[in-house]
Amino acid sequence: MDFTKRSRIKLLKSPDEDSIDRFAPHNCMFYILPPQNDVSLKDFEDLAIERLKLLRILEQASLKYPKILSDEWKEFIINELNAEGLKYFVRLIKGNGNSEQDKHARRRDYLSHFILRFAYCRSEELRRWFITREMELFKFKFSSLSSNEIKDFIELYEMGYRPITDEQKNEVRQELQCSSTGNIDTIDFYKVNFLQVLDLVRQRKCFLKGGFAYVSSNDFSSIIGGHHQQFIEKGLLSHLKLLPEFENDERIVGIIKGLHTSYVGKDYTVNKDADVPIESLDQLSLKSYPLCMRMCHESLRKTHHLKHSGRLQYGLFLKGIGVSLEDSLRFWREEMTKNMEVDKFDKSYAYGIRYNYGKEGSRTNWTPWSCAKIISTAPGAQDVAGCPFKLWDSIELKSKLTSFGLNPMAVQDVVSYASKGHFQLACGRYFESVHETRLDEGVNHPNGYFENSQIIMGNRQTKEKNKPSSQQSNFNHRKQVQMNKQQEFKRKMDIKIKEEKDFDEELWKLSQREEELLNEWNTRQEQTKKEVAEISQMDWNDDDEDMSQINNYL
Amino acid sequence: MPEAQKEQFNANQLSDYLKLYYKRLFPHKQFYRWISYNLSEDGIFTNREFSFTMEDDIYIRYLSFENQSELENDICTKIPHKIDIGAVFNTRPKNHRSNANMKPIQRELVFDIDMTDYDDVRTCCNEANICNKCWKFMSIACKVIDTALREDFGFEHLLWVFSGRRGIHCWVCDKTARHLDSKGRGAIADYLQVSMSGGGENTVTKVTLYDKQHHSIRRARTIIEPCFNEIIIEDQDAFGSPSGIDKLLKMVNDETCRKELQNLFASTASDSKSIWSTFVGYFESMRVKSQLKSKLKYIVEEVQLAMLYPRLDINVSRGTNHLLKAPFCVHPKTGKVCVPFNPNLAHKFDPMTVPTVNLLMKEIDEFDQKTNEALETPDDKAAKVKDFKKTSMFKSTVIFEEFLRKIEQSTKSKAITVSDKRMEF
Ligand code: SF4
Ligand SMILES: [Zn+2]
Repeated sequence: MDFTKRSRIKLLKSPDEDSIDRFAPHNCMFYILPPQNDVSLKDFEDLAIERLKLLRILEQASLKYPKILSDEWKEFIINELNAEGLKYFVRLIKGNGNSEQDKHARRRDYLSHFILRFAYCRSEELRRWFITREMELFKFKFSSLSSNEIKDFIELYEMGYRPITDEQKNEVRQELQCSSTGNIDTIDFYKVNFLQVLDLVRQRKCFLKGGFAYVSSNDFSSIIGGHHQQFIEKGLLSHLKLLPEFENDERIVGIIKGLHTSYVGKDYTVNKDADVPIESLDQLSLKSYPLCMRMCHESLRKTHHLKHSGRLQYGLFLKGIGVSLEDSLRFWREEMTKNMEVDKFDKSYAYGIRYNYGKEGSRTNWTPWSCAKIISTAPGAQDVAGCPFKLWDSIELKSKLTSFGLNPMAVQDVVSYASKGHFQLACGRYFESVHETRLDEGVNHPNGYFENSQIIMGNRQTKEKNKPSSQQSNFNHRKQVQMNKQQEFKRKMDIKIKEEKDFDEELWKLSQREEELLNEWNTRQEQTKKEVAEISQMDWNDDDEDMSQINNYL
Repeated sequence: MPEAQKEQFNANQLSDYLKLYYKRLFPHKQFYRWISYNLSEDGIFTNREFSFTMEDDIYIRYLSFENQSELENDICTKIPHKIDIGAVFNTRPKNHRSNANMKPIQRELVFDIDMTDYDDVRTCCNEANICNKCWKFMSIACKVIDTALREDFGFEHLLWVFSGRRGIHCWVCDKTARHLDSKGRGAIADYLQVSMSGGGENTVTKVTLYDKQHHSIRRARTIIEPCFNEIIIEDQDAFGSPSGIDKLLKMVNDETCRKELQNLFASTASDSKSIWSTFVGYFESMRVKSQLKSKLKYIVEEVQLAMLYPRLDINVSRGTNHLLKAPFCVHPKTGKVCVPFNPNLAHKFDPMTVPTVNLLMKEIDEFDQKTNEALETPDDKAAKVKDFKKTSMFKSTVIFEEFLRKIEQSTKSKAITVSDKRMEF
């Protein structure tokens, strides 16, 4: 999306701050009416990334502290949001307000939600992830509201719930008292069908009588949350229906398509600090490789071949850990020519490797794949790629880990995480066991995994020397280094959305087919570039046709 | 139970017995009346899945029937050893191969309580066995669950059935219950369950109570506590053995108290009654001296709940698609009929005298012999319909009839009153 930045043309008129009262009248808000305002492409992208970061933070919090709304959970989120410069979200989760800052924050919240719907409406899996995160956000926001703010909320959205009268309250006083939290005299209670508050029912957190639940205003979030969830679920489905039309706009597609796999952490594109000789790869693969890469490596050594997505996944990883292009070519050549003619290799495969390093084709310096990317990759038959924690069933995983000599306890943990779909936690646990250390962060990137491993083993230094954090004084040296590393990690969260997805498909073809395909592709690339250049030279006006299309979909 | 009364059941002859049983005793008509719910909803009968377990454990799923006589004929000709009832689907289950989108639409909310889950607290029997003493665990479970379902959730149409061997089932047949999704079922099941930790081989089941006790827990306590002496102390003599005392001690989550109690027990007569009163007395005196740690504040109540609170097989309740043995089936191992019983009189129900299929056949034979002279044709229709009245199955059929009468009233009269105040935006 570089051209927008280059041309610095404001594509669309600025959103109207006043209308935010209509669309988002409360810091804790429903996302019902889609935005009517225009959004510049730049804003579009920024907002998307900000919300993505927010949702990822929520995810991390919930993986770390499964008890949602616990103090640790909240604290983690607030700290992370502050560290990420997303202070406006912090404002929104601390109750209602009507200052200019609140309105500004609400606007970003509101718009970014609708933008991400495009990226997350496309499959059941994505939708579920998105809804889970959005619900966490909503619960957090709602939990900070006072009784009065809740009343406001209910009125603003005309939800028609009325508290029960004192008389009604007195009839069930005793039961209410023992089945709810807080002083019932000062709390409003609402009487609703128990089906609307299943979460409370499940935990025996409300008084039930004859199929009705008596819900205190504090616990009302459960009901409201139910509505919220319905809005989002329905909204996602209607966004899905709009998507085909929308997909004509390549600029938007470029942003949203790869978004869910985009990696917002550290950039591992080039490793300037390390030089890893290929002779050490076998050794490194045992301890410093995450399982996904170890699997590629071992398979390559064994069969002297990897299919295309495996070559991409592993090849880019190697680049990221510091294997030079020359070494890389040598490595792949030596291995693969055990089963094929050198000629064939040079003709069909060397190109792809140089391509990975940005030396061919569009000369993009490709980013090594992140966990999100790897996990969402579905490898074809006989294609060794993807995340083993997702791909292998419990039995296979168990036997593999055991054969690696992992202790049974750790094996059990890893398998149980993996079977619950927490692949990155499984990976983290695996890391901990292999390195006999604690890993406070989950695994987000295979290259991060590798670096952490190297640091712990004393083979690599952290790049920035941070002042030692005081509360960690009784950590041993290795852990200390690791802590520093992690702080640095957080600070250096520079964002790069690579147009991974679009080009990957091309890349696959590339690495598989021969010259003519390449040429064809190159010509097409040239064309696209020309088109892009043309577009960026056009004089955009406020009523630009293409972009106003977005609004129809938003 | 006296051996004489026990008409020895021989599983090898099951098919022969069942042939007669289905023909002469199984309440086909009532069964259909139940499961068709007055045909109050589309496809409610025709889209219902049945499954038969045949001799030799051959299992046939996705059976469905167009009407009562088709169901009856199939049962009488196939003579299934077991009949299970599944969900009502959006299409006829027998066509399941041609319809990829088949999904369950409704299904009774069911509960399953199995005696084996009480093996760590019962001493009278174990595993598949059951006697009048351990039935008391079931009767308490039935009361606690039944009250909660009626009072808290407002359900009215509950059918309680003895499973034929060592457990009980509850079918909640209210329309709201039938239409619950699995989240709703899970929530209700969780509501009714007290989270118990432990229960494995070497651990001990433990419940934790706090000052704030939900009214459903308080109510359960009022049902459970008065029976504790009779069941745990007298019948089960639960603390009469060193291992029983050990289990009791393990529930005390405090090293010092455990030690002190141990010493006290050493000088107490080792019968359950003395041990228990020492136990209660010890904590009472601690309380009086204000030395009782807060985590042990409710230890006596916790022990009582842990030992007597219903232990549900939650997974049975959760699924919308779970198959459960139909009432009036014959348990293939015991030959006993899965008879409905009255939850209000659960404590009077005697699982030991539940008729076996062979006893029933004998009863009919005897009856027939006595009246044979009077009847020209023993297969006379009028005589056949009333066969169950000749037998000890009579009482259960009456209970079933009563259940049917009420539910038919509700499906007839109530023009769908949905108390669903869903808001519209
Ligand atoms: S979690 Fe990430 S690093 Fe670990 S195996 Fe999976 S993809 Fe690789
Ligand atoms: Zn017994």
